[in-house]
Amino acid sequence: MKQTESIHPTGGGRFAVMLLSMLILLVFGLADVARAGTGMDSAQERIAPIGEVRLQGQPPVEVHVETAAIQEQEAEPRAAPRLSSADYPNIGVSSRAVVWVLAQMHLFFGALVLAVPLFVLLIELVGVYTRDDRYDDMAHEFMKISLTGFSITAIFGGSLALALFLLYPDLMAYLMHVFGSQWLVYAGLFFFESFFLYVYYYGWNALRYGNLKWVHLTLGLLLNASGLTIMVMANSWATFMMAPSGVDEAGVVVGNIWEVMKGPLWNPINLHRFIANIAFGGAVVGAYAAFKFLSAKDPVKRAHYDWMGYTSNFIAILSFLPLPFAGYWLMAEIYAYSQQMGITAMGGILAWLFIVQAVLIGTILLAGNFYLWSGMSRTDGSERYKGLIKIIAFVLVVCFLIWVTPHTLILSASEISLLGGSHHHILGPLGIMPAKNIAVNLMLIATFLSFQIYRRSDKVATVSWAPMGNALMIAVYLGAVVNIIFLGVYYGYFTNTVYKVGSSVAQVMTTLVVIVFGLVIDSLMFKKAKVLPSHWGRIPDRAQYALFALPIAFTWLMALMGYVRSSVKTHWHVYTVMKDNSPDNFIPAIGYAGNMITLVTVLFLLCVLFMFWVASLSGSKQPKPVVAAAGGEA
Amino acid sequence: MSVLFKTLAFSLGLTLLFTLVTYLLPQVKGEAPVEKEVDLGSLTMESFIALGEEIFHNKGTCTLCHQPAPLGRAPDIAGEDMVALANKHLADERYQGDAKNAEEYIRESLLHPGKYVVAGWGKKGSNDTESPMPMVDKPPIQLTPIEVDAVIAWLQAKDGGEVTVALPAAEAAAEVASAVAGDEGRKAPAPAATAEEALTKYACASCHAMDSRDTLVGPSLLDVGLRLSKAQLRQSIVDPNAVVAEGFPPAMPSDFASKMTVSELEMIVNYLAEKKG
Amino acid sequence: MEQNNLGIAGRLAALIVAIIIMLAFYYGLDHLVMGMQGLPLNLDLTPAG
Repeated sequence: MKQTESIHPTGGGRFAVMLLSMLILLVFGLADVARAGTGMDSAQERIAPIGEVRLQGQPPVEVHVETAAIQEQEAEPRAAPRLSSADYPNIGVSSRAVVWVLAQMHLFFGALVLAVPLFVLLIELVGVYTRDDRYDDMAHEFMKISLTGFSITAIFGGSLALALFLLYPDLMAYLMHVFGSQWLVYAGLFFFESFFLYVYYYGWNALRYGNLKWVHLTLGLLLNASGLTIMVMANSWATFMMAPSGVDEAGVVVGNIWEVMKGPLWNPINLHRFIANIAFGGAVVGAYAAFKFLSAKDPVKRAHYDWMGYTSNFIAILSFLPLPFAGYWLMAEIYAYSQQMGITAMGGILAWLFIVQAVLIGTILLAGNFYLWSGMSRTDGSERYKGLIKIIAFVLVVCFLIWVTPHTLILSASEISLLGGSHHHILGPLGIMPAKNIAVNLMLIATFLSFQIYRRSDKVATVSWAPMGNALMIAVYLGAVVNIIFLGVYYGYFTNTVYKVGSSVAQVMTTLVVIVFGLVIDSLMFKKAKVLPSHWGRIPDRAQYALFALPIAFTWLMALMGYVRSSVKTHWHVYTVMKDNSPDNFIPAIGYAGNMITLVTVLFLLCVLFMFWVASLSGSKQPKPVVAAAGGEA
Repeated sequence: MSVLFKTLAFSLGLTLLFTLVTYLLPQVKGEAPVEKEVDLGSLTMESFIALGEEIFHNKGTCTLCHQPAPLGRAPDIAGEDMVALANKHLADERYQGDAKNAEEYIRESLLHPGKYVVAGWGKKGSNDTESPMPMVDKPPIQLTPIEVDAVIAWLQAKDGGEVTVALPAAEAAAEVASAVAGDEGRKAPAPAATAEEALTKYACASCHAMDSRDTLVGPSLLDVGLRLSKAQLRQSIVDPNAVVAEGFPPAMPSDFASKMTVSELEMIVNYLAEKKG
Repeated sequence: MEQNNLGIAGRLAALIVAIIIMLAFYYGLDHLVMGMQGLPLNLDLTPAG
């Protein structure tokens, strides 16, 4: 053991030196590339003198006017092109459908491979602080199973780019023009990301202990930094198309690249996608753990995968809880940018999609809660909270029904014809936001309560003020429920729209207060608490299905909301600047969107299966055939 | 293997369940606005008002916000008498705009919604000094001046008020037509406004001398008012081969009947009937 | 759990006090959040303005 320890640092040290020199090389190389990019002038300098040669006394050769004219033309402001439907290449199938599938697949895997290194880094850090090797092994395993995802992301990203250039050449030409050199930076970041990724993953065991661990953690941080930069850059294209900035009314670029990128929706989308990616990534690796758990017979393995599934679910649900708040910010910014766009999303045709969203979020919350409740069988101290679970389940189901029912009631054929994209004038009030807001906030609170009692189930508080703390905690919950219902009912139905919208902010704040109070009170109350034994692997098999429901619902939800995000632009490529005159410039019916979303979800499922299968391949080894020695070699 | 089968079946089943939900919802398509051609030559006030109503409900996207009480995010325009309301707001001491009458007020509130914000409907936090209404003459709504006029006409007419907006004049129509033609490149030319314009448009003078007795391809029209009655003039334009003037080939185009608007034909006929040398 | 120095009545009283405190807290929160958005409230929480 001592020997290996003494070998490791030197081996790792050499490795680090190599790393450093490679990095330096890379930086120099890039700097060179950057200089070569501006090398046009120097080339002209070399060639120009020859053109100046002339006989003495002769008039100077007239400068060719054409090139000057071309240059002038190039320098002229370039407005967004106005296209007719003939300008769109027709390949026989819907161009939008092709781009839709490719973009969504790229986004799924992009989200996955951005999120996994993020919480892997956190888990690794936890492992360093707790000195518990299990964390480190789990983090490594998470990386292993998502490694193929990077290639898949790149494959779909490349296909998407090709499809866009083939099918929407004018739009892409315009976007290339607007974003200009940013594309090169974007491409360059991929080299960084791949570099850090492979060094981070393959260097895991080489840089495992002591100071080298910190080198490894730094590599992880750089991997995340390059990944996140890629994400926010790509986000700026999407948000530019939704809410263009840095261009004038005709689409002529008037600002610098920073002004183009920093549109009003950029940061809300960045935050929303960042949080959602983590939830999504957690859910997907949770399915892996659940599958392994169900397939394993060995109790040690079952315990390991149970714990892995629990951690994944923890990551998914915890990052899911703040997601509505980020979504609220995004929606508020959309309204602030364009009232019309906001209403197209929330009050027009697309409003119906939020019912599907309700079903999906309901599924996610119920599955997450169900998993937590089932998981309480791991601890002996969970008996104390059994009664509370029934209440939570009841609240969740009732809220879920409130969320969905009023809408589905208005679905008779005659009413559909009356719709025209708006709510019914009698039942409408039940279907609009106040009722939904109450339900959503109560569901979030209930989910947090599940969380809290799960966390408490294996502990007994020893502090003297525990009864007081509990009384305060109960009061926090009761007061929050009262406040949320009051805000929703009073301002939602008895005052004007402005107060209605404003009150939902107060509702959200109330929910946040519950979460913050819960975390603070519990962390103080259960300091030095008596810990009851818990038994990993002691969980019913059916609980694992919740871990499958989560990624399916997340995937579907992501595809759905992506469709809404893209559709609020209606018949514009770049909202208010570049019209979409392609044959696909309408918002498709929900059923069609549902088909597309299911298609991409199933495709994603297959690709993820492949990804997990490849990961499991690396762990298995074919035994050397015994007979092969005789006949196999002939 | 059975684990794989069970989990896959579960996942696919759940996916299909979500798909089913989308099928239970109304299948509404969001069509992009279709360019609509309005024949201004034959436009009546009724159809102009109807156009305004259609714009209000569709292209203008007004109903996204202007809805009755619990749903509306802006005053319920369809449900209130806008002329009376406009006069009420004009009398309000908070009113700082330039409008003098209901038409001007409505136009101002359409094009410059921030001039006067109805109490309670201002942008959140602006204390009714800023309007949340988008610019209707800018993208993405982009109403043309004629469309704005049509909306005003409808707003005035819908509660029995007097319509003070004039029907679109020919110059405006020509402007719009050329703008649209530049935009789309395949619009019919605008109807002519005067007899002279109509004569130029249909290139009558390339065959008929108007101001001399010269004979070009067809007979001179200098004194045609003396030779033919209005009915005969009309017939010789609509159906030129019915009676061909003596000594002339039947060369006059016979498709004017399908090309000219009624008003253009009448203008030309009246003009020619006055030509008496 | 070791120091159960509160009886049933004491616990109930603690709970009631806590609820009153929290309701007052949420009342203040509503005023604060709505006020920050430019939507002032009267003391009885009806919209002011």
